Amino acid sequence: MENAITVKNVTKSFKLYYDKPSTLKERLVFWNKKKSESHIVLENINLDIKKGETVALIGVNGSGKSTLLKLMTKIIYPNQGEIITNGKLTSLLELGAGFHPDFTGRENIYFNASIFGLSRKEIDKRINDIIEFSELGEFIESPVRTYSSGMYMRLAFSVAINVDADILLIDEILAVGDQHFQDKCMEKLKELKNSEKTIVIVTHDMGAVKKLCTRAIWVYEGKIKMDGNPNKVVDNYLKVCG
Amino acid sequence: MFKNLYNYRELLKTNIKKEIRGKYKGSFLGILWSFINPLLMACVYAIVFPYILRNTQPHYVTYIIIGIIPWNFFTMSILQGTSCMINNGAIIKKVYFPREILPISLVISGAVNFFISVPIIIIFVLCSGLPITYNIIYLPLVVIVQCLFQIAIVLITSSINVYIRDFEYIINFVINLLFYATPIIYDSTMFPSSMQKILNFNPMTTIINAYRNIFYYNSHPEFSALLTLFIICLILCFISYQIFKRLEKGFAEEV
Repeated sequence: MENAITVKNVTKSFKLYYDKPSTLKERLVFWNKKKSESHIVLENINLDIKKGETVALIGVNGSGKSTLLKLMTKIIYPNQGEIITNGKLTSLLELGAGFHPDFTGRENIYFNASIFGLSRKEIDKRINDIIEFSELGEFIESPVRTYSSGMYMRLAFSVAINVDADILLIDEILAVGDQHFQDKCMEKLKELKNSEKTIVIVTHDMGAVKKLCTRAIWVYEGKIKMDGNPNKVVDNYLKVCG
Repeated sequence: MFKNLYNYRELLKTNIKKEIRGKYKGSFLGILWSFINPLLMACVYAIVFPYILRNTQPHYVTYIIIGIIPWNFFTMSILQGTSCMINNGAIIKKVYFPREILPISLVISGAVNFFISVPIIIIFVLCSGLPITYNIIYLPLVVIVQCLFQIAIVLITSSINVYIRDFEYIINFVINLLFYATPIIYDSTMFPSSMQKILNFNPMTTIINAYRNIFYYNSHPEFSALLTLFIICLILCFISYQIFKRLEKGFAEEV
């Protein structure tokens, strides 16, 4: 089976500044101050994610799961090693990033989908699905600033999930909207899973991991502690951290 | 570079639209501001400078307008372009897309704005009794060269500004300086030829002179100078794109 995501010897560290000099003035004035400390978030990670797998990254806060996800999207780059992705990739790190409050829902669909790299034609083809999935009805023609936070989330999720990418990266956003919409999202994810898409999710919802995923990876202090069958990994994780 | 831009062409388009619409939405006079601003500037110079400079050009207001509207395009592109990464920090942190789209779409939306204000130039030219000739067909050529020049600058300044926040103040100062080093309110022929040579090193001199040739002197732009500048700008764009790609990797962590 072909790899969708290959993570090779990846190390990522962040510089922690006590008082970050962001301007030239500060750099000149405080040139002799102790500058920063390096904090290693991920250490020598090796990971192969095969096409069609649904993988959950689990772990306590600050263990490096989200950083790993961000590295996969190419928002940030590793200090060492490399990450190769194979196929069109969509990330849902935060819903509605880049929504323009003055634009209508429909316009924002075009804007948001274009951020994911879709062309006009591709968006035209999907726009009805997106609007239908969001259940916004006539609100789609009102500016996004008039939306409730739930509506906002629903619109954003509908766009991202209908982009039709080969790889979908999701960060702790399964708790979208009301129960009805959550169930719908779950259904959609299952449908994507069955259509041979590769999905990587970061979540604390262990029930969802067991229900949805084919593999779970437990990240602990920047290293992979356990990798394999979701039931086993989740049980072990809950024993230690629960 | 082009393949990436082509794949994300829809984003480029919507971003340009967003820039143009977002700029004037919510302000009382709307799109009129893009006319009023350079007009007011031109008025001030037209009143002040005939007193300072002894022999000004005939139709001095028109003469300044032709220089100031393209200059306005230049300053707006550079200033907004320099801070565009910071202003879009929220998206940069959350989604991957080719970052160069942001500065490039700013320059292009500036160009659209410039074309919107070209009628103002034409009105002034006609009101001072000067003709508009077929030379106006060369206008897009000059705009393209100016855009390339601005993209080359903005790719570098926008990425440096992420790391050094007060870089925009430095840019602001340099632009103010450059205003006086560009023949906008004066004509370069009033200087001795040695001084003119120095002025000609400023790419904006070539560009402003080209606009003047089209609108004021009813001739074509100096093609050799424009072509040289075009090639230089292409090379500059290539170099600054390489620098941009290097610096781009830290954007999400730094903004």
